[in-house]
Amino acid sequence: CLFFGSVVRAAPLHLKDTGVGCSSVQQKIYVQLNKTFPCVRLLNATHQIGCQSSVSGDTGVLHVLETETDLDWVLSSGPNPPYVVLMVAEHFNRSTMMKLKGSARVAGVAVVISKAGPAQGFSPHHSCPNQNSGVYSDSYGPELAGCNVTVWNPLGNSLSYEDFRFPIFSLHEGEEADVIRKCFLDHNRGVNGSDPAYPLCAMQLASHMYAVKDTATCMRRNDIQSRFSISPEFVCDALADYNVWSSLKPLNNSGKGHLDGESVVIAATRLDSRSFFWNEAPGGESAVGGFVTLLAAAQALRAVVEDHPPSQNILFTFFQGETFDYIGSSRMVYDMENGKFVIDLDNIHSLVEIGQVALHRNGQLWLHSDPVSRRNSSVRSEVRERTSTALNLSLSVAEPDVSQPLPPSSFQRFLRARPIPGVVLTDHMSAFSNRYYESLYDDAEYLNVSYPSGLSPEEQLEYVTDTAKTLAEVATLVARSLYKQAGGLDDHLSSINADPKIVTQMLYGFLVQSNNSWFRSLVSPDIVKNLGDPVKMPTWLVQYVLANFTGTLRNLTQTQCKNPEDLEGESKDLYSYFWVQGPVPPNSTQGEGYCVRAPVRLVKAHSPAFELHQYSSRDYSTWTESRWKQIQARIFLVASRDLEMLTLGVGVAVLLVSLVVTYFINSKADLLFSSSRETTSTAY
Amino acid sequence: MNLERVPNEEKLNLCRKYYLGGFAFLPFLWLVNVVWFFREAFVKPPYTEQQHIKTYVKRSALGLLLWVAALTTWITIFQHFRAQWGEVADYLSFTIPLGIP
Repeated sequence: CLFFGSVVRAAPLHLKDTGVGCSSVQQKIYVQLNKTFPCVRLLNATHQIGCQSSVSGDTGVLHVLETETDLDWVLSSGPNPPYVVLMVAEHFNRSTMMKLKGSARVAGVAVVISKAGPAQGFSPHHSCPNQNSGVYSDSYGPELAGCNVTVWNPLGNSLSYEDFRFPIFSLHEGEEADVIRKCFLDHNRGVNGSDPAYPLCAMQLASHMYAVKDTATCMRRNDIQSRFSISPEFVCDALADYNVWSSLKPLNNSGKGHLDGESVVIAATRLDSRSFFWNEAPGGESAVGGFVTLLAAAQALRAVVEDHPPSQNILFTFFQGETFDYIGSSRMVYDMENGKFVIDLDNIHSLVEIGQVALHRNGQLWLHSDPVSRRNSSVRSEVRERTSTALNLSLSVAEPDVSQPLPPSSFQRFLRARPIPGVVLTDHMSAFSNRYYESLYDDAEYLNVSYPSGLSPEEQLEYVTDTAKTLAEVATLVARSLYKQAGGLDDHLSSINADPKIVTQMLYGFLVQSNNSWFRSLVSPDIVKNLGDPVKMPTWLVQYVLANFTGTLRNLTQTQCKNPEDLEGESKDLYSYFWVQGPVPPNSTQGEGYCVRAPVRLVKAHSPAFELHQYSSRDYSTWTESRWKQIQARIFLVASRDLEMLTLGVGVAVLLVSLVVTYFINSKADLLFSSSRETTSTAY
Repeated sequence: MNLERVPNEEKLNLCRKYYLGGFAFLPFLWLVNVVWFFREAFVKPPYTEQQHIKTYVKRSALGLLLWVAALTTWITIFQHFRAQWGEVADYLSFTIPLGIP
């Protein structure tokens, strides 16, 4: 559900070619493939990655890849190049794809994705994520930079960051994949080992991308279009969305910059993920586990915040766009440095980040900190405190080796600006336990979020899975640590408990089906229709869930809820007001509607490189996504080239013959057509 | 316009007008001049104004040739190097092709 595509770009242009509707001859020839996802082109300061097709699509004879001989057939021995390769996910690895990339006989690739990933793991991301945008560089911990000490994602094959000149689409197992295989078996197999005869089954994949080269080029072309063209046609969009933040004690949103006397503990996590294909990014372990834990911790802290608030404030931040060189966190740090956020970097007391926590083994969690700044003793004492709060839970927290750097995390961006003490909580000591990092397989099944068969969707929503129980324990640990870190007293720690029931509801909603009764009751009535499966744009959904957890019901009407300025006790500076649907009573289709007041806000997660117009920046993320017009995939039968030429030749010959015949008839017209007229003319 | 029925003086006038007009960066006027008055200048039996018309046609042809050479050279260079020139080429272009460098 989370993808950088959940990092929404401004008005993506994909107009479907709906003009061709119902001509039956077309339906007899082409079989449209509907449930496909393309790989699209992304650009940054120096490179372009992803796939490109020609304007009307690339057509090739279909070939199913099952063995090595099939690969040879495509690359060298097959008689009818170019080929479109259909492969199952096992073959979708670096070696095969690099061989196909280098060949001129490949017109496209279609990958059939199965439910479970390859057993040995698969990660199309880099093996060292966000290497150049973190804190470790030649000037800060150079021996720790570039994954010299720990390779965080050893299964990473960097496939997502290659530039392919042919289109690559994904299909899921099902009807469409069967139709394609049947077409292949019926037409593309030679009889008794001979070459297959025409007509052959072919596939056409169209995903023509407009942007090229790098971000600076595409932004320049956008600029030229907007200034000099009558109907501007943009070629790319910067990856941008919103970060969600909330505070335990409300902060006045109209005051920006340094807030005197305010000392804040930041609890951070990330919201986004990606995969090789566009708009498909379940992100179970890499993102959902983390933000669900933090949401549950925010809800658990609610119990104590009114009666025994801690001395410091806690700021919950959910960063969007972290996969692409930390778009959200770099923007927040930039805003803090320039006095555009409610607090300043000097207001930050410390930072706790929730990394990937859902796959911990035997209840073991790890606290990573930065070895370069750990010389500050306050950080070390924090860690010891955190280990003691875990004593009442079945979790144990330990520190990895002193010399290990921080894993890729939003905290690194904060460290780039200021040496803030902080820790990152994860379930892995060194390399990720996630074997499907940033891939399609990092989904509910991988997290073991599974339900006994025979349950209805509503029952599944309520069923507490084991994963939910363990994540709830992690959330309790996080909440208690945050409370202690913010100066809360030990006596109240036992009343802070995360509820496994809401954790399981959140996991169900974000990983399995977002159109469920609980989510429907949390959001406003006009957004309900956007809930689909699985959720593609979780930013606003996380905002509503957080509002539900940290907010209070107000007795206001809908119009009052929109404009609570003049009402007593209401302040738009301190809170946001949401009109939510509420639970739907059994006898009607819509809930009554309630006004919820919560200190939850959205801030832009748009890379500072675009604000500063530094499109080749090395300091900030410069990722953009190309625009496109038409994405489609279809299969049909093609005839041989000889037949096509013969048809054309016959047509031209008929034209010439008809011209000659017409000329002769014209010149001998009186002879041919005069005989009957002569007899009648004598009748004068 | 049919030149058969035009008096010779008129023909010379027209030829001169087209010749002079071509200097305003309008090589097509020279092309028209050459094609239209070719027969008048070189094929028809001589008459008084024909000498002047001949000069004009020859000079128009020369001008046209220079323009064709210059434009062909520039178009070839631009088409070949547009991708490499990057920013400069983008600002020089009227339409930039989508999806290719």
